[in-house]
Amino acid sequence: MSKQEVLGKKPLQILEKIRENLERLNEKIEVMIELQKHGRKDIQTIPEAPLDVMTLLSMPDHLRKTAMTVCKLGRATAEEIAQQTHRARAVESAYLNQLVIMGYLKKERKGRKAYFYVDRENQEG
Amino acid sequence: MGKIIAVHSYKGGTGKTLLSVNLAATFAQHGKKVCLMDIDFRAPSLYTILKMGKVEYWLNDYLNGTCEIDKVLIDISDKIHSNGKLYVGLANPATEAIREMSAKDRKWEMRALGRLLALRNSLLDGKGFDYLIFDTSPGLQYSSINSIVVADLVIVATTLDRSDVDGTKRMLHELYELFEKKSEIVLNKVLNDFSSKAFKEEMQTKMKDIYMVPVLGIVPCFCDILKAEGGIIFANERQSHPFARILDEIATKIENNVK
Repeated sequence: MSKQEVLGKKPLQILEKIRENLERLNEKIEVMIELQKHGRKDIQTIPEAPLDVMTLLSMPDHLRKTAMTVCKLGRATAEEIAQQTHRARAVESAYLNQLVIMGYLKKERKGRKAYFYVDRENQEG
Repeated sequence: MGKIIAVHSYKGGTGKTLLSVNLAATFAQHGKKVCLMDIDFRAPSLYTILKMGKVEYWLNDYLNGTCEIDKVLIDISDKIHSNGKLYVGLANPATEAIREMSAKDRKWEMRALGRLLALRNSLLDGKGFDYLIFDTSPGLQYSSINSIVVADLVIVATTLDRSDVDGTKRMLHELYELFEKKSEIVLNKVLNDFSSKAFKEEMQTKMKDIYMVPVLGIVPCFCDILKAEGGIIFANERQSHPFARILDEIATKIENNVK
Protein backbone atom coordinates (compact mmCIF):
# COMPACT_ATOMS: atom_id res chain seq x y z
CA MET A 1 0.00 0.00 0.00
CA SER A 2 1.47 3.32 -1.07
CA LYS A 3 1.62 6.34 1.21
CA GLN A 4 -0.99 8.04 -0.88
CA GLU A 5 -3.44 5.20 -0.25
CA VAL A 6 -2.93 5.42 3.51
CA LEU A 7 -3.54 9.13 3.39
CA GLY A 8 -6.60 8.58 1.27
CA LYS A 9 -8.01 6.06 3.72
CA LYS A 10 -7.35 7.74 7.03
CA PRO A 11 -6.77 11.41 6.50
CA LEU A 12 -8.69 12.34 9.63
CA GLN A 13 -6.78 10.03 11.94
CA ILE A 14 -3.47 11.24 10.56
CA LEU A 15 -4.45 14.86 11.02
CA GLU A 16 -5.57 14.05 14.57
CA LYS A 17 -2.21 12.43 15.27
CA ILE A 18 -0.40 15.48 13.92
CA ARG A 19 -2.51 17.77 16.08
CA GLU A 20 -1.87 15.66 19.14
CA ASN A 21 1.87 15.82 18.57
CA LEU A 22 1.72 19.54 17.96
CA GLU A 23 -0.18 20.00 21.22
CA ARG A 24 2.45 18.06 23.12
CA LEU A 25 5.15 20.12 21.47
CA ASN A 26 3.23 23.26 22.34
CA GLU A 27 3.02 22.24 26.00
CA LYS A 28 6.76 21.69 26.12
CA ILE A 29 7.39 25.11 24.56
CA GLU A 30 4.99 26.70 27.07
CA VAL A 31 6.91 25.15 29.95
CA MET A 32 10.19 26.41 28.50
CA ILE A 33 8.77 29.91 28.10
CA GLU A 34 7.45 29.90 31.68
CA LEU A 35 10.73 28.65 33.06
CA GLN A 36 12.56 31.44 31.23
CA LYS A 37 10.07 34.04 32.44
CA HIS A 38 10.55 33.18 36.08
CA GLY A 39 14.29 32.71 35.65
CA ARG A 40 14.17 29.19 37.05
CA LYS A 41 16.12 27.18 34.54
CA ASP A 42 17.36 24.97 37.33
CA ILE A 43 14.02 23.78 38.67
CA GLN A 44 14.57 20.82 40.94
CA THR A 45 12.98 17.59 39.97
CA ILE A 46 12.04 15.38 42.87
CA PRO A 47 10.37 12.17 41.81
CA GLU A 48 7.05 11.85 43.64
CA ALA A 49 7.52 14.87 45.87
CA PRO A 50 4.64 15.12 48.34
CA LEU A 51 2.37 18.10 47.70
CA ASP A 52 1.70 18.85 51.36
CA VAL A 53 0.54 22.19 52.79
CA MET A 54 4.05 23.29 53.83
CA THR A 55 5.20 22.72 50.24
CA LEU A 56 2.20 24.69 48.99
CA LEU A 57 3.13 27.53 51.35
CA SER A 58 6.71 27.70 50.11
CA MET A 59 5.77 27.76 46.42
CA PRO A 60 5.84 30.93 44.34
CA ASP A 61 2.36 32.52 44.25
CA HIS A 62 1.63 31.72 40.60
CA LEU A 63 2.30 28.01 41.08
CA ARG A 64 0.49 27.80 44.43
CA LYS A 65 -2.71 29.01 42.85
CA THR A 66 -2.56 26.27 40.23
CA ALA A 67 -1.52 23.56 42.70
CA MET A 68 -4.29 24.53 45.15
CA THR A 69 -6.87 24.31 42.41
CA VAL A 70 -5.72 20.82 41.42
CA CYS A 71 -5.92 19.84 45.12
CA LYS A 72 -9.50 21.08 45.28
CA LEU A 73 -10.68 19.57 42.01
CA GLY A 74 -8.81 16.31 42.55
CA ARG A 75 -8.26 15.68 38.88
CA ALA A 76 -8.56 18.26 36.15
CA THR A 77 -7.53 19.46 32.70
CA ALA A 78 -5.74 22.76 32.10
CA GLU A 79 -9.04 24.10 30.77
CA GLU A 80 -10.89 23.26 34.01
CA ILE A 81 -8.13 24.79 36.13
CA ALA A 82 -8.18 27.94 33.97
CA GLN A 83 -11.92 28.31 34.57
CA GLN A 84 -11.31 28.36 38.34
CA THR A 85 -8.26 30.63 38.37
CA HIS A 86 -9.48 32.99 35.62
CA ARG A 87 -6.15 32.74 33.88
CA ALA A 88 -5.50 31.66 30.29
CA ARG A 89 -5.55 27.95 29.53
CA ALA A 90 -2.06 28.13 27.99
CA VAL A 91 -0.72 29.72 31.17
CA GLU A 92 -2.29 27.04 33.38
CA SER A 93 -1.02 24.36 31.05
CA ALA A 94 2.50 25.70 31.46
CA TYR A 95 2.24 25.87 35.26
CA LEU A 96 0.71 22.40 35.44
CA ASN A 97 3.48 20.91 33.36
CA GLN A 98 6.02 22.73 35.48
CA LEU A 99 4.46 21.13 38.59
CA VAL A 100 4.69 17.74 36.87
CA ILE A 101 8.39 18.31 36.16
CA MET A 102 8.88 19.28 39.81
CA GLY A 103 7.30 15.97 40.81
CA TYR A 104 4.26 17.38 42.62
CA LEU A 105 1.61 16.41 40.08
CA LYS A 106 0.99 13.42 37.86
CA LYS A 107 -0.24 13.70 34.30
CA GLU A 108 -2.34 11.20 32.44
CA ARG A 109 -3.54 11.32 28.86
CA LYS A 110 -6.99 10.14 27.87
CA GLY A 111 -7.35 10.59 24.11
CA ARG A 112 -6.59 14.19 23.35
CA LYS A 113 -7.16 15.38 26.90
CA ALA A 114 -4.44 15.59 29.54
CA TYR A 115 -5.54 15.22 33.17
CA PHE A 116 -3.48 16.46 36.09
CA TYR A 117 -3.81 15.08 39.62
CA VAL A 118 -2.08 14.65 42.97
CA ASP A 119 -1.00 11.07 43.40
CA ARG A 120 -1.85 10.75 47.09
CA GLU A 121 -2.59 7.08 47.48
CA ASN A 122 0.32 5.57 45.59
CA GLN A 123 2.95 7.28 47.66
CA GLU A 124 4.18 5.02 50.37
CA GLY A 125 4.83 6.96 53.54
CA MET B 1 -24.49 23.77 49.46
CA GLY B 2 -22.86 23.47 52.88
CA LYS B 3 -19.74 25.24 54.08
CA ILE B 4 -16.60 24.30 55.96
CA ILE B 5 -15.46 26.62 58.75
CA ALA B 6 -12.04 26.33 60.40
CA VAL B 7 -11.66 27.95 63.83
CA HIS B 8 -8.00 28.81 64.29
CA SER B 9 -5.71 31.09 66.30
CA TYR B 10 -2.07 32.00 66.62
CA LYS B 11 -1.80 31.30 70.31
CA GLY B 12 -3.41 28.73 72.57
CA GLY B 13 -6.14 29.61 75.05
CA THR B 14 -7.82 32.19 72.84
CA GLY B 15 -11.16 30.37 72.96
CA LYS B 16 -11.21 28.27 69.78
CA THR B 17 -12.93 25.30 71.39
CA LEU B 18 -15.39 27.48 73.29
CA LEU B 19 -16.29 29.28 70.05
CA SER B 20 -16.45 26.08 67.99
CA VAL B 21 -18.71 24.19 70.37
CA ASN B 22 -21.07 27.11 70.95
CA LEU B 23 -21.16 28.06 67.28
CA ALA B 24 -22.03 24.47 66.36
CA ALA B 25 -24.79 24.39 69.01
CA THR B 26 -26.13 27.74 67.79
CA PHE B 27 -26.25 26.59 64.17
CA ALA B 28 -28.12 23.47 65.31
CA GLN B 29 -30.59 25.66 67.17
CA HIS B 30 -31.11 27.53 63.90
CA GLY B 31 -32.25 24.19 62.47
CA LYS B 32 -29.02 23.39 60.65
CA LYS B 33 -27.30 20.06 60.24
CA VAL B 34 -23.85 20.56 61.73
CA CYS B 35 -20.75 18.48 62.25
CA LEU B 36 -18.17 19.60 64.79
CA MET B 37 -14.71 18.09 64.40
CA ASP B 38 -11.78 18.08 66.80
CA ILE B 39 -8.75 18.63 64.58
CA ASP B 40 -6.57 19.45 67.58
CA PHE B 41 -4.79 16.11 67.70
CA ARG B 42 -2.07 17.47 69.99
CA ALA B 43 -4.48 18.47 72.72
CA PRO B 44 -7.93 17.01 72.06
CA SER B 45 -10.74 18.57 74.09
CA LEU B 46 -14.14 17.75 72.58
CA TYR B 47 -14.17 14.24 74.06
CA THR B 48 -14.08 15.74 77.56
CA ILE B 49 -16.08 18.93 76.90
CA LEU B 50 -18.96 16.97 75.38
CA LYS B 51 -18.79 14.28 78.09
CA MET B 52 -18.60 11.45 75.60
CA GLY B 53 -18.74 7.81 76.61
CA LYS B 54 -17.16 4.91 74.78
CA VAL B 55 -15.86 5.87 71.35
CA GLU B 56 -15.18 3.19 68.76
CA TYR B 57 -13.68 5.21 65.92
CA TRP B 58 -11.78 8.48 66.03
CA LEU B 59 -10.96 11.09 63.41
CA ASN B 60 -7.42 9.73 63.78
CA ASP B 61 -8.67 6.48 62.21
CA TYR B 62 -10.35 8.29 59.33
CA LEU B 63 -7.21 10.28 58.55
CA ASN B 64 -5.13 7.13 58.84
CA GLY B 65 -7.36 5.64 56.18
CA THR B 66 -8.50 2.74 58.36
CA CYS B 67 -12.20 3.61 58.40
CA GLU B 68 -14.82 5.70 56.60
CA ILE B 69 -16.10 8.97 58.03
CA ASP B 70 -19.59 7.53 58.79
CA LYS B 71 -18.05 5.32 61.46
CA VAL B 72 -16.44 8.31 63.19
CA LEU B 73 -19.41 10.64 63.42
CA ILE B 74 -21.49 10.47 66.57
CA ASP B 75 -24.98 11.98 66.68
CA ILE B 76 -25.24 14.13 69.80
CA SER B 77 -28.42 15.97 68.75
CA ASP B 78 -30.20 14.76 71.90
CA LYS B 79 -27.59 16.48 74.08
CA ILE B 80 -28.68 19.84 72.76
CA HIS B 81 -32.34 20.72 72.54
CA SER B 82 -32.70 22.00 69.00
CA ASN B 83 -34.53 21.64 65.71
CA GLY B 84 -31.32 20.85 63.94
CA LYS B 85 -28.79 18.03 64.04
CA LEU B 86 -25.42 18.00 65.70
CA TYR B 87 -22.77 15.38 64.98
CA VAL B 88 -19.28 15.22 66.33
CA GLY B 89 -15.99 13.73 65.12
CA LEU B 90 -13.51 13.27 67.95
CA ALA B 91 -9.75 13.32 68.24
CA ASN B 92 -8.32 10.53 70.37
CA PRO B 93 -7.11 12.04 73.68
CA ALA B 94 -4.95 9.04 74.65
CA THR B 95 -1.30 10.02 75.12
CA GLU B 96 -0.16 7.32 72.73
CA ALA B 97 -2.53 8.58 70.02
CA ILE B 98 -1.22 12.14 70.47
CA ARG B 99 2.35 10.88 70.23
CA GLU B 100 1.52 8.93 67.09
CA MET B 101 -0.20 11.91 65.42
CA SER B 102 2.73 14.22 66.24
CA ALA B 103 5.18 11.94 64.48
CA LYS B 104 3.49 11.83 61.06
CA ASP B 105 5.57 12.65 57.99
CA ARG B 106 4.89 14.93 55.02
CA LYS B 107 3.45 12.17 52.87
CA TRP B 108 0.96 11.23 55.57
CA GLU B 109 -0.02 14.88 55.96
CA MET B 110 -0.54 15.11 52.20
CA ARG B 111 -2.88 12.12 52.31
CA ALA B 112 -4.63 13.58 55.36
CA LEU B 113 -5.25 16.73 53.32
CA GLY B 114 -6.81 14.56 50.63
CA ARG B 115 -9.11 12.92 53.20
CA LEU B 116 -10.16 16.27 54.65
CA LEU B 117 -10.86 17.55 51.14
CA ALA B 118 -12.98 14.46 50.50
CA LEU B 119 -15.33 15.48 53.35
CA ARG B 120 -16.80 18.14 51.09
CA ASN B 121 -18.06 15.36 48.87
CA SER B 122 -18.99 12.80 51.50
CA LEU B 123 -20.57 15.07 54.12
CA LEU B 124 -21.66 18.33 52.47
CA ASP B 125 -22.85 16.87 49.17
CA GLY B 126 -23.49 13.29 50.24
CA LYS B 127 -25.11 13.71 53.65
CA GLY B 128 -26.48 17.22 53.31
CA PHE B 129 -24.57 18.83 56.17
CA ASP B 130 -24.94 22.62 56.30
CA TYR B 131 -21.75 23.26 58.24
CA LEU B 132 -18.57 21.41 59.14
CA ILE B 133 -16.72 23.15 61.93
CA PHE B 134 -13.05 22.32 62.46
CA ASP B 135 -11.70 23.09 65.91
CA THR B 136 -7.95 23.29 65.19
CA SER B 137 -4.59 23.47 67.00
CA PRO B 138 -3.09 26.92 67.51
CA GLY B 139 -0.25 28.15 65.31
CA LEU B 140 1.30 26.65 62.21
CA GLN B 141 0.55 22.97 62.77
CA TYR B 142 0.13 20.62 59.84
CA SER B 143 -3.39 19.58 60.87
CA SER B 144 -4.44 23.21 61.26
CA ILE B 145 -3.04 24.32 57.91
CA ASN B 146 -4.69 21.29 56.27
CA SER B 147 -7.99 22.44 57.79
CA ILE B 148 -7.44 26.01 56.59
CA VAL B 149 -6.75 24.84 53.04
CA VAL B 150 -10.01 22.86 53.06
CA ALA B 151 -12.15 25.59 54.69
CA ASP B 152 -14.43 28.15 53.03
CA LEU B 153 -14.12 30.48 56.00
CA VAL B 154 -11.43 30.79 58.68
CA ILE B 155 -12.56 32.24 61.99
CA VAL B 156 -9.50 33.59 63.78
CA ALA B 157 -9.90 33.75 67.55
CA THR B 158 -7.68 36.41 69.02
CA THR B 159 -7.18 38.41 72.21
CA LEU B 160 -5.65 41.82 72.92
CA ASP B 161 -2.45 40.18 74.17
CA ARG B 162 0.43 41.82 72.28
CA SER B 163 2.15 38.65 71.19
CA ASP B 164 -1.20 37.31 70.02
CA VAL B 165 -2.00 40.46 68.03
CA ASP B 166 1.42 40.39 66.39
CA GLY B 167 1.31 36.71 65.55
CA THR B 168 -2.27 36.87 64.30
CA LYS B 169 -1.35 39.76 61.99
CA ARG B 170 1.52 37.76 60.55
CA MET B 171 -0.65 34.67 60.11
CA LEU B 172 -3.32 36.66 58.28
CA HIS B 173 -0.83 37.91 55.71
CA GLU B 174 1.58 35.02 55.53
CA LEU B 175 -0.81 32.10 55.79
CA TYR B 176 -4.50 32.76 55.09
CA GLU B 177 -3.75 35.32 52.40
CA LEU B 178 -1.40 32.98 50.55
CA PHE B 179 -4.19 30.41 50.38
CA GLU B 180 -6.65 33.14 49.39
CA LYS B 181 -8.87 32.27 52.35
CA LYS B 182 -11.79 34.33 53.50
CA SER B 183 -10.87 35.05 57.12
CA GLU B 184 -12.69 36.92 59.86
CA ILE B 185 -11.70 37.89 63.39
CA VAL B 186 -13.39 37.12 66.69
CA LEU B 187 -11.85 39.20 69.43
CA ASN B 188 -12.21 37.32 72.70
CA LYS B 189 -11.69 38.10 76.40
CA VAL B 190 -12.19 41.86 76.12
CA LEU B 191 -12.10 43.35 79.62
CA ASN B 192 -13.59 46.83 79.17
CA ASP B 193 -17.17 47.76 79.86
CA PHE B 194 -19.28 46.39 77.09
CA SER B 195 -22.55 48.11 77.75
CA SER B 196 -21.67 51.17 75.69
CA LYS B 197 -22.32 50.95 71.98
CA ALA B 198 -19.63 53.57 71.33
CA PHE B 199 -16.96 51.36 72.90
CA LYS B 200 -18.03 48.41 70.80
CA GLU B 201 -17.88 50.46 67.62
CA GLU B 202 -14.50 51.91 68.54
CA MET B 203 -13.22 48.37 69.10
CA GLN B 204 -14.56 47.21 65.73
CA THR B 205 -12.76 50.04 63.92
CA LYS B 206 -9.55 49.42 65.85
CA MET B 207 -9.61 45.71 64.98
CA LYS B 208 -10.27 46.40 61.31
CA ASP B 209 -7.33 48.82 61.22
CA ILE B 210 -5.00 46.32 62.86
CA TYR B 211 -5.97 43.22 60.91
CA MET B 212 -7.51 44.58 57.69
CA VAL B 213 -10.14 41.82 57.70
CA PRO B 214 -13.79 41.88 58.81
CA VAL B 215 -14.59 41.53 62.52
CA LEU B 216 -17.12 38.78 63.05
CA GLY B 217 -17.63 39.43 66.73
CA ILE B 218 -16.27 40.89 69.94
CA VAL B 219 -16.63 38.75 73.06
CA PRO B 220 -16.13 40.15 76.57
CA CYS B 221 -14.35 38.19 79.26
CA PHE B 222 -17.12 36.42 81.19
CA CYS B 223 -16.43 35.15 84.68
CA ASP B 224 -19.41 32.80 84.23
CA ILE B 225 -17.55 31.02 81.47
CA LEU B 226 -14.46 30.54 83.63
CA LYS B 227 -16.64 29.41 86.53
CA ALA B 228 -18.33 26.81 84.35
CA GLU B 229 -14.90 25.11 83.92
CA GLY B 230 -15.76 24.01 80.40
CA GLY B 231 -18.75 22.05 81.63
CA ILE B 232 -21.57 24.12 80.14
CA ILE B 233 -22.50 24.79 76.54
CA PHE B 234 -23.88 28.30 77.01
CA ALA B 235 -25.49 28.43 73.57
CA ASN B 236 -27.55 25.46 74.68
CA GLU B 237 -28.01 25.59 78.44
CA ARG B 238 -27.97 29.36 79.07
CA GLN B 239 -29.53 30.80 75.96
CA SER B 240 -30.29 34.15 77.59
CA HIS B 241 -26.67 34.63 78.68
CA PRO B 242 -24.95 37.53 76.84
CA PHE B 243 -22.33 35.09 75.53
CA ALA B 244 -25.02 32.91 73.93
CA ARG B 245 -26.55 36.01 72.39
CA ILE B 246 -23.22 37.11 70.89
CA LEU B 247 -22.80 33.62 69.42
CA ASP B 248 -26.27 33.91 67.94
CA GLU B 249 -25.26 37.18 66.24
CA ILE B 250 -22.07 35.58 64.91
CA ALA B 251 -23.94 32.54 63.58
CA THR B 252 -26.52 34.73 61.89
CA LYS B 253 -23.79 36.83 60.29
CA ILE B 254 -22.16 33.69 58.91
CA GLU B 255 -25.47 32.33 57.62
CA ASN B 256 -26.07 35.59 55.78
CA ASN B 257 -22.54 36.06 54.48
CA VAL B 258 -21.20 32.66 53.59
CA LYS B 259 -23.40 31.67 50.75
